[in-house]
Amino acid sequence: MNPLLAQFLAEAADLLTQVDEGLLQLERTPGDPEMVNEVFRAAHTFKGSSGLFDFPELTRLTHAAEDLLDAVRAGALPLDSGMTDDLLAAFDLIRGWLAHVTSNECLPATAGADAAALITRLRAPIGGEKVKVETTVAVARRDSAPAWLAYFDEEWLAETAAWLRTTSAQMRFIRYVPDSGCFFRAEDPLHLIRQVPALERLGLIEPVEWPEAADYDEYACMVAFVFAARAAVGEIDYLFRYVSDQIEVVDLDGDTIQRYLSGEAEADAAAPSEADEPGTVDTVRSSPSEPELVADARAILTAALRSLAINPTGHVHLVSVANAITAAAHALGDPVEIREPDVVALTATVTRLLGDTPPPEDAVSTAPIEPIPVDRGRADDPGGQVGSRILKVDQEKVDHLMELVGELNVAKNGLTFLAQAAEEEFGSRALSRRIKDQYSGLHRIAEELQASVMDIRMLPLSVAFSRFPRLVRDLSRRLGKNIELVLTGEDTMADKDVIEALGDPLVHLVRNSLDHGVETVDERLATGKPGTARITLAAVADGDAVVVEISDDGRGVDPTRVRRKAYEKGLISEEELETLSDSDAVDLVFRPGFSTAEQISDLSGRGVGMDAVRASVEKLGGAVTMRSELGSGTTVRLRLPLSMAVTQVMVFSVAGQRFGIPVDLVVETVRVPAAEMSRVLHQDVVVLRGEVVPVLDLARALDMPWTPDQTQDRAILIVGVNGQRVGLLVEQFHREVDVILKPMEGLLAYANEFSGTALLGDGLVLLVLNMKEVLGLAARVG
Amino acid sequence: MPLELGDTTATLTGVVTVDEVEELAAWLQATAKPRVNLRKCNHLHTGALQAMLRFRPKVSAAPTDAFLAGQVLPLLEGSGGEPTRQGSEPP
Amino acid sequence: MTQTQRKALVVDDAATVRMYHTTLLGDAGFEVQEAANGLEAVEAALATGFDLFVVDVNMPKMNGYTCVETLRSETVGTPAPVVMISTEDRPGDADRAYAAGANLYLVKPVAPERLVRIARLLTSGPGVAA
Repeated sequence: MNPLLAQFLAEAADLLTQVDEGLLQLERTPGDPEMVNEVFRAAHTFKGSSGLFDFPELTRLTHAAEDLLDAVRAGALPLDSGMTDDLLAAFDLIRGWLAHVTSNECLPATAGADAAALITRLRAPIGGEKVKVETTVAVARRDSAPAWLAYFDEEWLAETAAWLRTTSAQMRFIRYVPDSGCFFRAEDPLHLIRQVPALERLGLIEPVEWPEAADYDEYACMVAFVFAARAAVGEIDYLFRYVSDQIEVVDLDGDTIQRYLSGEAEADAAAPSEADEPGTVDTVRSSPSEPELVADARAILTAALRSLAINPTGHVHLVSVANAITAAAHALGDPVEIREPDVVALTATVTRLLGDTPPPEDAVSTAPIEPIPVDRGRADDPGGQVGSRILKVDQEKVDHLMELVGELNVAKNGLTFLAQAAEEEFGSRALSRRIKDQYSGLHRIAEELQASVMDIRMLPLSVAFSRFPRLVRDLSRRLGKNIELVLTGEDTMADKDVIEALGDPLVHLVRNSLDHGVETVDERLATGKPGTARITLAAVADGDAVVVEISDDGRGVDPTRVRRKAYEKGLISEEELETLSDSDAVDLVFRPGFSTAEQISDLSGRGVGMDAVRASVEKLGGAVTMRSELGSGTTVRLRLPLSMAVTQVMVFSVAGQRFGIPVDLVVETVRVPAAEMSRVLHQDVVVLRGEVVPVLDLARALDMPWTPDQTQDRAILIVGVNGQRVGLLVEQFHREVDVILKPMEGLLAYANEFSGTALLGDGLVLLVLNMKEVLGLAARVG
Repeated sequence: MPLELGDTTATLTGVVTVDEVEELAAWLQATAKPRVNLRKCNHLHTGALQAMLRFRPKVSAAPTDAFLAGQVLPLLEGSGGEPTRQGSEPP
Repeated sequence: MTQTQRKALVVDDAATVRMYHTTLLGDAGFEVQEAANGLEAVEAALATGFDLFVVDVNMPKMNGYTCVETLRSETVGTPAPVVMISTEDRPGDADRAYAAGANLYLVKPVAPERLVRIARLLTSGPGVAA
């Protein structure tokens, strides 16, 4: 992708977020002038940047939004929620477009139509379509046809006239006389015409007399065009915005064309002036850049004259004006010398210079800006970036850096194997020690590097929270509930993977609160609560974990109902129905197959339940708990690791193969004489400090053939899962290692019993167990 | 290459930009009975069109591009810039 | 005309526009620095001498007018040419720019070759002893 476009897309994403946040805040504190200004500024910047590309709809739409915001900013009208809706819709549409631009480098085909309606809505509060300040094309609706109609095919004109008369319609006719130097400005008139929507017919105006072949200048434009189209005035206006002085537009009906064809109304057809007749222009064609240079020099002189008229007082200012004058004079080939700049003398000089230099034939003040003429970035420009102290880095680069850190860790771990080999295989204890020294040096650097990279990956929770103001606003409107959203601790940092993975569970939980937790206004008032409910999203750092709480002051979860429902669904036994404590009952909502909602609403329904939330949080190595008090609200607490990039795993082997398990889950490792193993209800158990712990034969659960040596002690890994202790019968314990866990890919992607793979220092791939699934598997195997 | 210049036939491919105009014009001027194949041409720069209008090569293969075929080809094959209506003053 | 590379400062809050102007001027042989608002521009001008400033009007922190005024004030005191480029074309805007000390006020869109032409023109004069 063109680097300029890539830059624009990155900038646009930031600006869109600013606009969204600003608008929502404005709705809460209407009229905050700071905030209005901020939103306006973002929209303005956006429009400015979009203008560099050939995205006319984008520029038009942002322009409309900017104008509305400008009116709000000027205090001309208050921002109401209808306007906010329209503005949000406009920027949502733009967001969608940009996604399309990202993949296709062009706007979607529907952009024009989609934008039109929104532009009308945005412009409505400020008096409809902007009064033609920017419209440079005047459309004449004439009762007599222009003479240049003669350049259309007569037969076609006759047919068109007849058709227009039957349908009482009009057609737009345009004459476009490009100036002779237009090719030098990278203009291609035919390309412009090609873009005219609903082009009906093209006609050509050739020079009255072509130059001799020898004199033919292929770079002087000598032809002009006439065309008929059904394009809207705005579309013509936009396409030809840089050459608006070169086109003439008339709307004609069938009768007028018919009258023209039958030779009436001929006198009215004004003959085009000689100046815009193509073919006569080749008189001024010396050095093509010269007229433009002269025009620019004159513009600078005129500006200097303006500055002098304003009467600059500062000496520096005056010197700068004098500099500009000498530079312009130099360019005009009429150098002047200025010794002591003073207003009177300078004014006289400028006036003389302007008088001596006639304006060039075609002084171009607004030559077209070609969409994106840049084909290379200058990111490596050493002089750039003076002001910005924040470096924006592509996420992929940081990810790659992280991967490299992981590989460095692996390579580093390889040294310990080497040290071991040096001692065991080569019997050199000294070499082994030196390798270990090297290892510890490398280890320290690797750790620091890892910490630095992890730090780069840290993002504030506000990134995950940012979508909620909008979500809550939209949903509460749809549900007819009044909800105030409170965000706290948005500055809390966590790894970007955690932040990203947090998104979906959070959305689900907030929707759940909105949908089921919070009562309607009437319900709330009837129970003596304030009409406006409150949903709080709070984040707080807790050691190496981050805790996010989603709480509401809604109706709370009814434990009795939950118990009954769980029983009805067969999730709990009759005994549990009687004995389950209220807090345990509340926890039932996380069980698969449970849904408290009487009817599935279109908001939080859709088949994803709290069980899915728990599953995804646990997949991140986190935990979810819920507290609720009937009638006064619910709090869901998510506890997540600050970073999930590096996982400490315990390595062990089963049936000759090594596996890993997250260290967090390991309670202890024990060796038990085979004789002390016992069996209760077809289940192997071991008694540890008076507690009976079930023991799973991991080899069997994983379907691997292995018979433990009866004479050896049994190696049992005690893990804590779901608050229960379970023993895993393994072959051998190894050590703990830090690994970068990679998700399962390819064939193993469906093997749920593994949560990921990691590369070990000796090059082996370690499969890391997903304990919950393994326990389920073991239960099925029996 | 947008421009393939043979002894008698020029084949224009893709988008013919202003960069090709000079070469095309020189070829048209130097070739006795020039023929131009536009089949694979997607766009003609105005300068290229103008050169073809000036030197009037025979279009040996019509373009498949809708705009060129529908709107531009008739201009190249037509009588040219003569006003269509008899008796009216050229504007 | 000297052979030394001219230094330009591009001042715009829109990163894309900044990059665009930087690329244009850089390709035209200027050594270009960037500033995201007027304040940064002033800081940069205090640290380094520039031969040209290309300044946007509407910017946060310090807008273009104030920025140019400051560049022309005793504090910074640079007589280097200033081109202001704005999206706005309201009456009085150009005069505000000229009063602040700009040497040319342009309204977007500015053709790339024109900006380069003007940049070269303004930086190739014989200059006046300040």
